[in-house]
This record gives sequence, structure tokens and C-alpha cells, in this order.
Amino acid sequence: MLDECHRTNHKLRAVAKVETKTSLAKGDLRDVLREMLLIRRFEEKVEERFRAGELPGFLHVAIGQEASAVGVCRALEDGDIIASTHRAHGHTLAKGTHPNELMAELYGKAEGCSHGYGGSMHLYDVERGNMGANAVIGGGLPHITGAALAFQMRGEPRVALAFFGDGATNIGTFHESLNLAQLWKVPAVFVLEDNKWAESTPESQHSPIRDLSDRAKAFGMKALKADGQDVEAVYKTARQALDHARSGKGPVFVHLDCVRLHGHYIGDPQVYRDKDEARKLAETRDPITLLRGKLELSDEEFEELDVEVTEIVEASVEFAKAGTDPAPEDALKNIYA
Amino acid sequence: MPELSYREAVRDALATAMRQDDGVFIMGEDIAEMGGSMGVTSGMLEEFGRERVRNTPISEMALAGTAIGAALQGMRPVAEIMYEDFMTLAAEQVVNQAAKLRYMSGGQLTVPVVFRTQGGAGWSPGAQHAQQLEAWFVHIPGLKVVFASTPEDVRGLLWSAIYDDNPVVFFEHRTLYGIKGNVPEKIEPIPIGKARIHREGEDVTVIATGRLVHESLAAAEEAEKQGVSVEVVDPRTLQPLDEETLVASVKKTNRAVVAHEAVTRMGFGAEVASVLQYQAFDWLDAPVERVGAKFSPLPFAPVMEQFVVPHADDVLQAILRTVGRGN
Amino acid sequence: MESGTIVRWLKSEGEQVAKGEPLYELDTDKVTQEVEAEASGVLLKIAIPEGEVEVGRTIAFIGKEGETVAVEAPAPKAEAPVSDTEPVSDTVQEPQHVSQPTTNGRIKASPLARRLARERGIDLASLRGTGPEGRIVAEDVQRTQEVPARVAAPAAASQSQPLSNIRKTIARRLTEAWTVPAFMLTVSADMTRANELVARRRELEPDVRVTVTDLLTRVCAQALVRHPGMNVQYTEDALVSFPTANVGIAVAAPQGLVVPVVHSAEQLSLSQIAQVRGDLVGRARDAKLRADDLEGGTFTISNLGMFDVDQFVAVLNPPQASILAVGATRDQVVPLDGDLHVLPMMTMTLTCDHRAVDGATGAEFLKTIKTFLEDPGLAL
Repeated sequence: MLDECHRTNHKLRAVAKVETKTSLAKGDLRDVLREMLLIRRFEEKVEERFRAGELPGFLHVAIGQEASAVGVCRALEDGDIIASTHRAHGHTLAKGTHPNELMAELYGKAEGCSHGYGGSMHLYDVERGNMGANAVIGGGLPHITGAALAFQMRGEPRVALAFFGDGATNIGTFHESLNLAQLWKVPAVFVLEDNKWAESTPESQHSPIRDLSDRAKAFGMKALKADGQDVEAVYKTARQALDHARSGKGPVFVHLDCVRLHGHYIGDPQVYRDKDEARKLAETRDPITLLRGKLELSDEEFEELDVEVTEIVEASVEFAKAGTDPAPEDALKNIYA
Repeated sequence: MPELSYREAVRDALATAMRQDDGVFIMGEDIAEMGGSMGVTSGMLEEFGRERVRNTPISEMALAGTAIGAALQGMRPVAEIMYEDFMTLAAEQVVNQAAKLRYMSGGQLTVPVVFRTQGGAGWSPGAQHAQQLEAWFVHIPGLKVVFASTPEDVRGLLWSAIYDDNPVVFFEHRTLYGIKGNVPEKIEPIPIGKARIHREGEDVTVIATGRLVHESLAAAEEAEKQGVSVEVVDPRTLQPLDEETLVASVKKTNRAVVAHEAVTRMGFGAEVASVLQYQAFDWLDAPVERVGAKFSPLPFAPVMEQFVVPHADDVLQAILRTVGRGN
Repeated sequence: MESGTIVRWLKSEGEQVAKGEPLYELDTDKVTQEVEAEASGVLLKIAIPEGEVEVGRTIAFIGKEGETVAVEAPAPKAEAPVSDTEPVSDTVQEPQHVSQPTTNGRIKASPLARRLARERGIDLASLRGTGPEGRIVAEDVQRTQEVPARVAAPAAASQSQPLSNIRKTIARRLTEAWTVPAFMLTVSADMTRANELVARRRELEPDVRVTVTDLLTRVCAQALVRHPGMNVQYTEDALVSFPTANVGIAVAAPQGLVVPVVHSAEQLSLSQIAQVRGDLVGRARDAKLRADDLEGGTFTISNLGMFDVDQFVAVLNPPQASILAVGATRDQVVPLDGDLHVLPMMTMTLTCDHRAVDGATGAEFLKTIKTFLEDPGLAL
């Protein structure tokens, strides 16, 4: 059953995947919009089901950051790998995991992408190059340096790419990983999704500099910047970064200016945030609205897409609910290889 | 049989694996030209080149994490953490990442990485360069933990650690690098999880690790002169623990002493004592004795250091107590 | 027990004393024994050099070298010793199994010792611990197995003058016994086969040295089990009967008559009885019996045959209901089947507490003993 899901999903994705392009064609963009909308509707459904008490655990949605996930993952080649963060649903879907498998994981089912061992903050899909979400800020960064090192040592034309937020640029692993990556010129890309919030702490309170790219530059690393809400810009910049890294010129730092439209976690009352500012951002910086405008989609056309992705999301919930609960004693499996 | 020092035995395992397998490489602070702070990797840069003998910055998180990342992509890295004390800097990567990646991914990932590190008192480095922190890591599901005490063991076990598909924390003891011992001509892998009986005896079993294996063997000699026959067992692998061998020995001798250099309280020996009391309760003729360091950071002054860490006489006194002759 | 008599001190004032070392000899109504020191240090002061002393009284002080103890002897119990250090007073203690440390009634024994004792049916309470702090260790259990006896504990020779507590006890008890309405029955048994058996056993097990007393113990134990009406005690309100035959053997010890008990003798083989008896008699003569060696008897054998006594009447050993007085075995001419035979005959007299036992019951019991002695196979 899962295999079938994968096939369907791949077919869905294959239509738009044009490896050699440095920018997205208009035809691709429609599919990009559908994928971003799928992620959005999926996240909204997750929020709804969590509030309904169906989902256990600690969940973080990335509503508002769909362009970053989709734009970057579209730019990856087969064989490239990613490491994600605690805010991982979007990255995971964008990297090719079927919504059914992701939703099943959030429901703690054996059919989930981590077979019920991971949950929202530990989503893995190794077959699709997703080396996993990480619940420790900056935890996955050195893995990306190390994976890139392995590619470099074996002479493989592959790139390892890490997503992380602005909060992570203050932690030791960030500095140590970037330093080592640049020192060894490994084929890695470090994607900063700068949504200006480290949980509830604004960037002004967590960093003494305003341009976090300076941190990468301090290691002598090439740094690129793009509007993280503009999926075309994200794609183009990621492509550039990946090409640079793949060509053996060393790692690249990609600084995406992003917007987190919802709270840090589901249920976050965001007492620390100006409500007007959030509303204004939702009106002006929603990447889906922006892309829809660019594509000049009619209401009917958008509705059609929405119905299509909503059906997929609804189906994922059905799939997850019908999934198998792991046996309690399965907890003792997978500890050692 | 050739004779190797403990240091040479470690090097031999690393070099032999690197000769036969491109996936094996080493990384660590000062391991290239300098040959590592303990001289273990001396000469390896010349043989294997800078690509596979990688000097790293003083950067334990990235050192450990990068090794994990390479392991996730099918390499078999051996990361040298210069001092056990600095494992605390690498701990996030070792404990939260390496130990759990396979589990969190529901079995999708394997992490065949070795973290080699060393520690041990006896040379007055003070409180931050000689700790024995094995108890920190045996407590973490997902890690394997090895602590070898002889050249033969360290070579055969390091070989097995490199080829184990799990993260292995591999402890070496600073004061053992110079000891010599016969090793088989060709490396014979020693299975992880198998204890070694160093000396058979009838009256008391001493279960010792690292330097204390040697201290215990000395204590056993002395006890023998006093009419007490001592069996000395080195678990060699602390996780998984060869409970069967330990329990069988204690069922034979009916008495046990657990000895390690690490601080006694909450130490690895506490778990061993618990295993013994539970599995060999009806065979115990005396309380399980524990020998370890006093509950103190390691002091600098040699006389104080000598006082804090255990020696052969501490083991001997514990042995005698188990037969009702100690004080 | 309310009081005891300090017979003598084994340490002098000023001498070093280690915890567990014998400190003084105490004479009580049951036994004379050595009492071990409860603390280590210097024996600073002996408050009561000898004589009777009530339980709980401070009798000596153990402390640090150079400490002074300003206490008039005998000091009242409650008065704390004048000393700034901890261990100081030693008190008269109930004579019990000194080497059997218990905490709240729980015996201190290693898990292995407990298991061995359990498997071998040995009562830990009967053992002396030689491990740290008196813990019973496996070796103590194994040693018991070798000599299935109530194991030795240190005690000491008693003084014969003035009147020892034991002597007083003997006097009190026998006087008491004399007031009991008793009857006596006498019988003679042909000891031919009994003697053959004893001789044969000695040949087979020269180390054990089985005696006629051992055979008698075995025979009486079997007979008591067969005649439960004999294995009883009379009390003011009830007739108490016992499920097991604890056979006391009267021993002439230097300090006076003692009657150590072979417990559950019906469950022991002849050679086991010989070993137990050998151990008990040996320790009785060395004044090393413990209180529990003397407790629990339900019947007594008093054999004066070795003193060439033909026959005699024993006084009851209260609260037991009967006692068997055994004389020497002598060749006698016995008319048998119309002929005259010279047979080794032994004469025994059974004294019974008539309050507990009827004449016929006693006679049947005695007949069984005679039958068993004449055909010992029946009792083995």
C-alpha cells in the first residue's frame, strides 16, 4: 500500500521536476503552487486534529514558510540529502514523503515515515534523502558537514543540505559545523530560514547583528540571500548554491528571509507578538497568495487546486487513522543495528 | 606471537582497517603530524594521507557530529576525542544524536561510528584531564561502550568496534598506553559483549575495568599469599554487559569485588553490583564490595591524587573484607 | 532471667579489648558462658568484679586509653559513664547464643548461607556466625553439616564455690520433682544383639564411635513416637504433648549435672545421634554448652552403667514426664526355653509423672524399649 502511495506521489512530483533548469517555468509554477498549498492544507489539518485531541506530542507547523521548503527541495538532485528541524512537516513533504506516511507518523502509526518511533520532530525518509528532522536546535548541522565529507571523500557529485532557523545561528554546532565545512570545502548547503523568531524571542533579543549572513561570511563561506516568501527566488538561489557546492568550490550559506505566520508550536498564544504585525504579514507576505497572484489564477482555478490537495490531506487522515498501532513491545526494537 | 604496546595495538587496529577498507578514516584534534596527544596515530598521516587522517579544529561538537554524518552516509569514521573530559563537549551529538538516530528513524539509519577517547589519573593533570566518565555513556540506550585493558584486547575490540554498525564509545586508559603484551599475528576480532577471565580463583571474583584490571591482578597475587584465591574478570565491554560470565564466576566464588577507577558513587560498578545481587543473590556469601575513586574531583597534588583514586591495596582490602578478614 | 553471676573477668582493667572478644564469664540458671565485649577499646574500669548482678546493671567501662571513669562500683544502671567518648558500658546480658547477631529478631546470615541452610533443613538459629559482625556465612552452615550438632560456642569452666547458679537450679528443680507423684517400672533386656550392633557399627565407622547410650537414645525416641502418650508434659491447666522426641542425656559435668538434648532424635540415624551426642557430651564436660542445647527436652536418659551401677531409680527432670535410669550390662544366668543361658542383661527403671502418665502406658512403653533393644533392627 505504501509503495503505491510512493508511486502516486512521485508521479505527482515528476511532472514538474526539471533538473537542469536554473529557474522555474510557468508550467512548473502551477505545480509548485499545488505543492505549497498541499503543505498548507496539511499543516492546517494537523493543527485542527491536534486541537481535536487526536494527535499526541509536541507539534510545530511552518505555515508561511512553504516557499522555502518547496523552492529548496525542488532544486535538489536525486541523491542529494537534507537535514531538517523541529518544524519539519513542510520539508518532509517537499522532499517527497507521501502525506499518508507523514500523517500516519503524526498519529503514531507503524505506517508512519518513522514507523511511530519519531513523531513530528523526528521525521525520517532515508530512501528519499531525508536524513531527518532534529529536535535539538542545530543538532543536524554537523551531520550535514559529515555527510558532505563522505560525498567528497568518495568523489560523489552529491550535496548535503541543512535547514535551520535564525535561533540556531547562536548555538555551538552552527559555528563548529560551518567552520569545519568551509575548512574542508565540503559540498554542503546551509539554508537559514530566517523567520525572525527563536521560539518567542525576537531576533533583536537573540543576535547582536542584523544580518545573520555575516556569520557565514566570517568563516569565509559564500553567502547568498533571497526572499524566502518568493518561491521562484528561493529556487533560483538554491540552485545556484547547490551548483556551487556540487562543483567542489565549497559550501554555501543561503539566507532566506521568511515569515512564520503562526506560533512557535500549535497552541502558542503568541503573547510576545504584535497581533497587527502578524495580520499584516499574513496579508502581504503569504507565499501562496504571492504565487497565486503571480500566476494570475482565477478563483475557479485556485478552487480546483484546493479541492485536489484537500482531498489528498483528508485521505491522509483516513489513512493514518486506519493505520496500525505499533505493539508496545516494539519500543524495544531498533535500538541497536 | 608479536609483542605490542597498548598504544601500538590501537594503532595496528586502525591502520589495518584503513588498509583494507576505504570507508574507514580517522579524525581528531592533533592526530596528524603530532600523531595524537597520546601518540596513538603517530606515523599514520604518512601512510594514509591528510584525506583519511584528518586534523580537526578544537571543536568536539563538530568532530563528533561530522563523524556521525559521514557514518550515516556509509563511512566508518573513528573520531578521537582527545580526553574523556571533552566527551562532555561532544555529549549532545553522542547522546542525543548518534545513540538515537537509528531508533528515531524507526530502523532506517545505521550509525557505524567509533568515538575513541582516553582518560585516567596517575599523572597529576588535575580535575579536567583524567576523569573516567564511562558511567555517563553506559546509561544511554543505543550506544555500545568498550573499555579494554590489554594490548590484545584493545586491538581485537577496536577492530570489532570499527565494524560494528552501532555507535561505540571506546575508552582507553592513559596509563596503559605503554604496557606491552603478546598479540596474535593477525588481528583476531574480539566480540563486543564478551568478558575475559584473566585469572581463575575460588574464593572471590574481582570484576575490574581499565587500569584496575592490573591493580586487581596485583591484589590477587597478594591475596593468594594470604590464602585467598581470587578470580579476576574484565568485562571489557561495559554495554552490552556480559552478565552471564560475571554471574557464573560469582556463583562459583560466592563473593565479589567490583573495581574501577571512576568515582565509586553511581559508577559503573553500581550496576554490576546490582546485576550480581539480583542474579546471584542466593550464591552471595558476603556483600558485594566496590572499589573506586572517592567522591571528589581529581586533585592536582600527587599525594592527593594518589589518595583519591584506587590502587591494588584498595582492591586487596576489599577482597579480604569479603572473606571476613578485612577492616 | 533477672540476674546472673559474674564468675570471673577474662580481661584486666587497662587491657585492650576488641569487640567480640570474650570479656567475662557469666553464670546463670541455665548455663555458664563467656560473654563477648560489645565494643572495642581499653577496659577502663570493672564496676562489678564478681557476684550476682541484675540484668541491665553497668558492670564495666570500655573507652579510650587515658580516659577516666568516675563511677563508684557498683554503679546504678541509669547513670551515664563520665566520659566524652561513645562506647563505654557493658551490661549483663541475657545468656543467649552470643555469636548469633540478630537485628529485630532477624538472624544475620549471607544469602548463600540462608540458601544452604534452607536446602539442608538446618535452623540458622542453631548456628554460630563467624563472618564479619557475626554474620553466618556458608562455611558455618557447611561445618554444621559435617557434625550435625548444635554447634559449639565459647563458654567457660564454672567456679564450684560458693553455690553456683547451676547447683542452685539443680537443687530447686529436683526438690520440685520430689513433690511430683511418681511411679517406677523396672525391666531387664537381653543386650546380645544390641551389643553386636554397637560393635559392628564401631567396626564400620570407627570415627563415629557409637555407644549403647546412642542406641538407647534412638530406641527411646522411636518408642516415644510409637507411644505419644509418653511424650507429654503435665501443666496446671493442660497436658501438653509433643510431635517430636527431644531426648535429653544426663551428663555428669564438672560443674554438676547437665542434661543436653538431642533434638528430634527420631529423625537422626544412629551415627548422627552418636555425633550429636559426642559433641554435646564433650561440650558439657568442657562447660561449653549453650542455653539452647539444654532446652526443649521431652524425655531423659540417665545411664550410670559405666559406673558399674546395677540399677537405680532416677528422679524426674521436670517438666518432663518420664526418665529412664539405665544400669550396667552384666552376664547373667537366664532360664530360657527350659534351659539355662548366660546372657548380657541390662536393667532399666522408668520413672513416670503419674499426673501425666498411667501405669499401663508406662509399662507398654517400657516393653517397646525392651523389644527394640533385644531386636534393634526394629528401631533402626
